Amino acid sequence: MEKRLQMISLIGFFALCFSTIFSFTLLIPVSIFKINIKYFILIFRLSTFLVCISFISLIFAYVSSDFTNFNVFQNSHSDKPLIYKITGAWGNHEGSILLWICMISLYGFFYSLISKSANEFKILVLKFQSALFIIFALFIILTSNPFLVNSVFVEEGLGLNPILQDPALAIHPPMLYLGYVGFSLVFSLAIASLFRNNLDQDWINEARTWSMISWGFLTAGIALGSYWAYYELGWGGWWFWDPVENISLMPWIAGLALVHSLLMIRGEQAIEKWIVFLAILCFSLSILGTFLVRSGILTSVHSFASDASRGLFILLIFFLTTGFGFLIFLIKTPSKKDDLHLLLINKTSALIINNILMMITVFTILLGTIYPIIIEVLTNKRISVGGPYFNSTVLPILLPGFLLMSIAPVLSWKTNQIKKFRIYVICFLILSLIVSLQSYFTSFNTWGFIGLILGSWIIIASIISIMIRHRFSFTIKYITSINSFIAHIGVGVMIIGVTFSSIYQKEYNFNIEVGDKVSLENEILKFNDMQIIEEKNYQSLKANISIKKKNGNIIYIKPGKNYYPVSKMITTEAGIYHDWFKDIYITLGSENNNIWFIRVLINPLVSFIWLGVIIMVFSSAIAVIKK
Amino acid sequence: MKKIVLILPLILLTIICLFFLLFILLEKNPNEPPSALLYKDLPTFTSNNLYNKNINLGSNDLKEKYTLINFFASWCTPCRVEHHFFFEIKKENPDLFILGLAHKDDPNDSKKYLEEEGNPYSFVGLDQDGKIAFEFGVFGLPETFIVNSDGKIIFKHTGPLTKEIIKNEITKLF
Amino acid sequence: MKLQNFFKLLFFLLFFLLSLNSVAKESTEDRVKKLTLELRCMTCQNQSVSDSDSDFAKDISKIVEEKFKDGLSEKEIKIFLTDRYGEYILLNPYFNSKNLLLWLFPFVLVIASMFVFFKKIKKK
Repeated sequence: MEKRLQMISLIGFFALCFSTIFSFTLLIPVSIFKINIKYFILIFRLSTFLVCISFISLIFAYVSSDFTNFNVFQNSHSDKPLIYKITGAWGNHEGSILLWICMISLYGFFYSLISKSANEFKILVLKFQSALFIIFALFIILTSNPFLVNSVFVEEGLGLNPILQDPALAIHPPMLYLGYVGFSLVFSLAIASLFRNNLDQDWINEARTWSMISWGFLTAGIALGSYWAYYELGWGGWWFWDPVENISLMPWIAGLALVHSLLMIRGEQAIEKWIVFLAILCFSLSILGTFLVRSGILTSVHSFASDASRGLFILLIFFLTTGFGFLIFLIKTPSKKDDLHLLLINKTSALIINNILMMITVFTILLGTIYPIIIEVLTNKRISVGGPYFNSTVLPILLPGFLLMSIAPVLSWKTNQIKKFRIYVICFLILSLIVSLQSYFTSFNTWGFIGLILGSWIIIASIISIMIRHRFSFTIKYITSINSFIAHIGVGVMIIGVTFSSIYQKEYNFNIEVGDKVSLENEILKFNDMQIIEEKNYQSLKANISIKKKNGNIIYIKPGKNYYPVSKMITTEAGIYHDWFKDIYITLGSENNNIWFIRVLINPLVSFIWLGVIIMVFSSAIAVIKK
Repeated sequence: MKKIVLILPLILLTIICLFFLLFILLEKNPNEPPSALLYKDLPTFTSNNLYNKNINLGSNDLKEKYTLINFFASWCTPCRVEHHFFFEIKKENPDLFILGLAHKDDPNDSKKYLEEEGNPYSFVGLDQDGKIAFEFGVFGLPETFIVNSDGKIIFKHTGPLTKEIIKNEITKLF
Repeated sequence: MKLQNFFKLLFFLLFFLLSLNSVAKESTEDRVKKLTLELRCMTCQNQSVSDSDSDFAKDISKIVEEKFKDGLSEKEIKIFLTDRYGEYILLNPYFNSKNLLLWLFPFVLVIASMFVFFKKIKKK
């Protein structure tokens, strides 16, 4: 039994090593050994197959609770439900990096299946992809091997961090990584494009598809993480400008700029050059994200095990990869032909403004995230750069961008005019009147007013444009042709959700006993009882709270705390009642003489945030299908 | 001009990486921010003696001698871990005045704790409402400060002391 | 109406609104909430004092409330706290020489890029 189990780790490790060796052979220059394209791709796929075997054997080790594997011993426990045994495989540093390289290889694999490029170009792209693969594979083999054998015999593992035992967080890392790693392929494409001999722009089409896919996954990944933070951390918010969140936001925004540039390019060399720059930037920001998280040099909600030598290694990878990218960009970039057709307000200039704003946002977030590190190195003092800083810098910068977004898709390439512009103006005036009246009769808040007017204007302007420009029909073609408007409607919906949930959030604090009734905005909140539930891997303490609505309906909300005996940790579980217009969000606080502290938050329109994200992801999927 | 714009990303990258490298090499601990009180004057406070409410000790009494101030509590597990080090410090530096402050602790529990673990302190003061700890910017127990004869704080540590810290940092101070 | 004028009007409206931040008198409770949202709970992981219900956060909230009742201004309370806990406790860093780069960088970038952009357009 034991021997058989150790075999799994052995197979995993050897598969990983051989996969790396195969990738090495792909890098042999053509001048030394000319390889047929057929064999080249075969070797690449073999390498992909092997690294997948390696990852599957790690999952298998987790599923079979093989505690002879040191990694499994540290991060798993035989009492866990099956699903968390599987997800435990990437819930730790070693496994997650293995997943990361597995994806690098898989992206290359699918590229080799789909791509219709010329063979030479294809080989070049796959070579860069293999080089990236090798770098990260060496990182695993040298510093974070998940297949180490446990030196002592143990019966039981140490258990997975209970915070990670959650459905949303179980699929959050793969989603996020699919996004991050997807940019590696775009990076390879961009670098390869600098080496090609002719000036054709076929690679742009491929880059468009792949960056769209990556961006869609990244959006979904970030949203899942944010949704998790909303119900698991119990702070009532869903975005905290936490360093770990910031560093996932940076490649997201850079990716957004990239996607827009790729969609808007019409053969301009200046924009092509910009795209190459963005592609390099996106992937380097992805690596930076991994570095900052894995080295543990940022304090964060999402605590990760850290290790200085790993940090140094990833720093080296980050420096070499990004440095290489920018260096090639510096040397190989063709002399720019200034062929932009710029007017004060036409499509090209809108694209440029949008890109500039996004870049400024990225660099502001970057500076804010690493500024404490700079200051501590220089002055040995520590400062915090938190939410208030980002809110007061990032939001004003993005504001003109949101405004531009409402009409950007209908701008013309050649002139300063918009078709039927008067309709837009009239609708805008009516809308501002309505919103002004609304905010006049409720409590006025500047940001609330701006957010509401921007969000609803983006939606209305997009709907007007759809109605004016496209005849409705029930075909895929119709949906693909209005796709850009759909995406922007998603953003508008999200802006409304963000505005309302953050500005019009209401907080109530109660100290109540079992059986007490308190009134809450014309509704009656009753604390019914306290239950203790024994689950397989934790004990759960749940307060049973009911709220009697004005219309007589009673809803039940069960906030609680979970106690995980294996890791001796307590997690708070917020109780949330969702409906379309508001969330009632309750967290259970501490107890004193049978009197419990409970915090009730009324979060209006939170559902709009998730709805907006779903619309955006949907629209990026449509953009991938549309060729 | 064009070239400069293109070199800019490389320069920025190098600078950023340099700072990260320094941060890692200087072994900065993200969970332990440098103290704001280091090299500043000792805050003013007065504290009642644990065993006799009528005896007070104020910051003025600590002038012209080296003092080690340690915040502890009976409910704080890491405090027990470091507790025996104070006997060693005391043995090596008999002149050092060691002030223990029982933070947000019931006096009876503190007494029991000192019976169990021994009492290395020259004076045990009470800080039941946490006001003194606030003046010292304490946020996690245990915390240890060393004040020099000029009344300046010259050392601060959050969390339990270890052999290495005592050897490398504290012994140097005397 | 010309498209450009329309945009000018819009921007004007926005900046007007932004400058019109309400100067109404706030209750102590609101001021405590506002300030504690900008303070880091030192014992938590990246959480503001207002969001946390740890002992540390409760103590700090209490002190902030007392200080407001004693008539101290927000700025004075911040100085009071940073004297003891360091600037680390402020989630919104001070605007001082050390943080000049941090605060000016985004706005310098915006102005510089606007300058370059309009110069480009003029050239056409």
